[in-house]
Amino acid sequence: MFLKDGVKRRTVLGMAMAAGLAGGMPAAQAADDIVLGGSIPLTGVFAFAGEGIHAGIQDYVEIVNNAGGIEGRMIKYVPEDTAYKVDASVAAFNKITSQYDTNFYYGDSTGFAKTISPELDRKGTILMAGASFASELNDPEKHRYQFMAGPDYTEMINILLEYIADENPGAKVAYVHSDTEFGRDPIETSQKRAEELGLEVVETIVTKPGSVDVSTEVLKLRRAQPDYTIFHGYVLAPIPEFINQAKQMGMETKFMGTFWSMDNSMVMKMGEAGDGFMGVMPYAYYYDDSDDAPMLEKIREMRPEYQSTAYMQGFLTAMLMTESAKRTLEAGKELNGDNLKAALNSIEDFDTGGIIGVPISIPGNSIPVGRIYRADMSQEKMVPASDWIRLE
Amino acid sequence: MRIGTAKETYRHDEALFDTPVQRWWLAGLFVAIAAFPFVADAYWIYLGCLVAINIASATGLNILTGFTGLVSLGQAAFMGVGAYIVAWLEINLGTPFFVNLLAGGLGAGLIGILVGIPSLRVKGLYLAIATIAASVILHFVFANWTSVTGGQSGLTMPPATFLGTALDQPDKLYWLIVPVTVLMVLGASNLFRTRIGRAFIAIRDRDISAEVLGIPLLRYKLYSFALSSFYAGVAGGLWAYFFRVVTPESFPLVMSIFFLAAIIVGGMGSILGGILGAAFMTMVPEALKLIVGWLSPWLPDAVALLSPVRTIVFGALIVGFLIFEPRGLAEAWRRLRRFFHLWPFKT
Amino acid sequence: MTDWLLLIEVSLAGIGSGGLYAITGLAFVLIYKATKVVNLAIGEILMLGAYVFFGFSAGLALPFWLAALGTVVVAGLLGAGIERTMIRPMLGESPIAVFMLTIGLGSILTGTVELIWGANPLRLPEYLPNQPLFLGDAYVSSKVATAFAIASVVVLIFLALFRFWRGGVALRATASDQAAAYSMGINVPKVFSLSWIIACVTAGVAGMLVGAIGGISPTMGVFGLSVLVVVIVGGLDSVLGALVAGLFIGLLEALAGAYLGGEYKTLATFVLLVVVLMVRPYGLFGTHEIERL
Repeated sequence: MFLKDGVKRRTVLGMAMAAGLAGGMPAAQAADDIVLGGSIPLTGVFAFAGEGIHAGIQDYVEIVNNAGGIEGRMIKYVPEDTAYKVDASVAAFNKITSQYDTNFYYGDSTGFAKTISPELDRKGTILMAGASFASELNDPEKHRYQFMAGPDYTEMINILLEYIADENPGAKVAYVHSDTEFGRDPIETSQKRAEELGLEVVETIVTKPGSVDVSTEVLKLRRAQPDYTIFHGYVLAPIPEFINQAKQMGMETKFMGTFWSMDNSMVMKMGEAGDGFMGVMPYAYYYDDSDDAPMLEKIREMRPEYQSTAYMQGFLTAMLMTESAKRTLEAGKELNGDNLKAALNSIEDFDTGGIIGVPISIPGNSIPVGRIYRADMSQEKMVPASDWIRLE
Repeated sequence: MRIGTAKETYRHDEALFDTPVQRWWLAGLFVAIAAFPFVADAYWIYLGCLVAINIASATGLNILTGFTGLVSLGQAAFMGVGAYIVAWLEINLGTPFFVNLLAGGLGAGLIGILVGIPSLRVKGLYLAIATIAASVILHFVFANWTSVTGGQSGLTMPPATFLGTALDQPDKLYWLIVPVTVLMVLGASNLFRTRIGRAFIAIRDRDISAEVLGIPLLRYKLYSFALSSFYAGVAGGLWAYFFRVVTPESFPLVMSIFFLAAIIVGGMGSILGGILGAAFMTMVPEALKLIVGWLSPWLPDAVALLSPVRTIVFGALIVGFLIFEPRGLAEAWRRLRRFFHLWPFKT
Repeated sequence: MTDWLLLIEVSLAGIGSGGLYAITGLAFVLIYKATKVVNLAIGEILMLGAYVFFGFSAGLALPFWLAALGTVVVAGLLGAGIERTMIRPMLGESPIAVFMLTIGLGSILTGTVELIWGANPLRLPEYLPNQPLFLGDAYVSSKVATAFAIASVVVLIFLALFRFWRGGVALRATASDQAAAYSMGINVPKVFSLSWIIACVTAGVAGMLVGAIGGISPTMGVFGLSVLVVVIVGGLDSVLGALVAGLFIGLLEALAGAYLGGEYKTLATFVLLVVVLMVRPYGLFGTHEIERL
């Protein structure tokens, strides 16, 4: 079953890529094309996200180009596989920017975003977004030409905390995070917020990343008796086993996660244990039909099978990039880093067509909006558990 | 066909490049290296720099593993030490790059001696395992000594400057990285014309006989560790200037394996081998990417297969060379040269 | 006040997962004893075992017993294949060359798994019992407990094979003196194959268990690093050492994780490794002569 799915997905992906990567040689660029380059992790440990991101960007670019482009200019999407390695990602950036006059770039990791930031400052011609929601990048001073299509990791946790404070004031919270840059990112900063909200952080547990035995960590968690347990810095393992063992011990705590562990297909892999798993999600799910969402309908029309949350992320990123290009061109300005970023920051109460259920503004480098979803195993779906939460 | 090379003095016999033809070829090579950035595009210059950094580090590992016979899986961690030192100095003191690189090399060399101390008690495989332990422990230090290393998020550093120019681009850094690498490679070749270098080889070939010949084993093994780590440290420093961000995850164990693979493929115990191996192993992924590009019209899955195929090819190269060509590309190169030297007569 | 119950629970969990280290260590020691090869790919062989089990049980939807049997067969074939194509041609080469070869082998196995099953993390079908288990007041994860029990059975089979089976005796004979074994008419190359087959089967079974507890992913091979510590601490050529050190390392990791934090787990084991290398390089139960490699 799974094998078959894998092959099918790969075939689709491969065919999509054949056009983009043929020969690795620069395809002809019409003089006024707007170029969106991308270091995309199509293979390697982050491939599940890369495939979605790739498809999302590709679809949105197609929508725009079919509608005649931006002010008559077509968008050209130039992806390159990185296998989620920083050096490969930098190589891809150098390759693409030396072959095309690149206006936008999609980066695949926090490490890459930090590495390339000085280069973006020097070039001053590119606006970049990416798969990283690192809090560090959410600093318009330091990272002038970057943004992220969602809340940063600290903001994600803060959204969770607000929800908790609202549902159960004074609750006890525990963090479980991986011993990686990704895992450590929001822990200290969000603890302050927890205190402000009157929540008590009773335990912070660090685990080795990847598939590991977590029995001792669960024992520690049981001693802390938290009302809520927030996982961060994981994709799947070891969350399922953690929840499993905690439930065996009769723990009552509610488990929560952040964006990258929230994709429908990942949560469903948790099986029985995943029922009731909650988490913050900045975008609507593929199958979400609760709000008026023309874009979601369009996506479902273009791709009849389920698309991951990474797809939504890529889709929205492309949408915001196009929007800022449109605004810049409409104002009669040159497409460069400063103008594109200014245009991006001018986005206010923007309607994403239902990708995010509320109108958004981008005052800085992030979009501090999200919604709490809960896994419902009987439907095999993530269902909304709160309204959209906007951080002030 | 080449006829006899008459050598009249020992000096001549010992010379690094012993025939005029060789010197001409070398001059040609230098011209080509110098001309490269003027003809290649940014991407190829980027790759050129990366190859040069890898050559520097692989040469260092070759001194230890290829010439002294001590296997190390800590090369990446030593590079990390150099990279962190360079980044820290550049950020906090702003000292010139050559001072930083030297400090990075010396710092890594010191750590190398520390790691080499177990060679007092253990040899061979045990030592290799000790170097794995060292890289795990160093990784922990990188990740948790937050006040110096910036913890998990690492250090982001300004570019190197030379006479007021910021070396922030591969085409400028090329002129820093490549000369340093050339110097280090020449240094390594010369090393094996000295007592120390010859002692290393003696230890590799038979440590007990070496000791009988009056070579203090421990001291020379530590020298070898120090030198090899010095090379790694300088290479790590260049790496830091090149990427300008240093994080604990920049120097994983697989990177150490990469360097080991480079010298296996290139040829252990041959300076040329280190160069060929590092260049070859750096370019293989690029070549695979090209092949996949060509195949994609017929084989739509090709792109998704790239990463696993790369991993398999990487392993297969190690295994294949160990079984079929244990002396590596350098030996193949020598065979080729012999063929032309003797042409049109057969060996 | 010291929380004794926590200490007991943590220790039990640690010893439980130590059982998996112990049998993987056993596989490692077996290869070393018989062929003098330090097999750095043991973690990857374990990973492959877990994936093959996944392929049979989730991909082909076979019942547990058939899938497990299939895994054992595939792992055995893999062992024979590796020995024939990679290890045998290296006979007589320096141990260091073979050591590096197994590093390459690990890379090949990882790539193969990614090629067939992709790089994403997966979950094995639940086949271990999931009811909570209490020893007195102390909670023990039933999965870990069952895995420990299975591991113990594997160890017993292993020891019985060594003691009573003809092939096992030949194995021991080869390990203790290769030349003498030859002259007694033992087919030494066959013994080499045999040791790789048994070791790979053991590692494959360990993979099924490790995967059932922590999930599977191509990076699972890092388990092999902890196993490396186990066999060095126990002594490369000591079966008893692998068993004792396996349990001990499991315990040490659990205690370090519980009282110092998860980031100290690996550090603690590798610091122990360095100490052992400095003080007793042949390990707790190893033979002294190994020092003269």
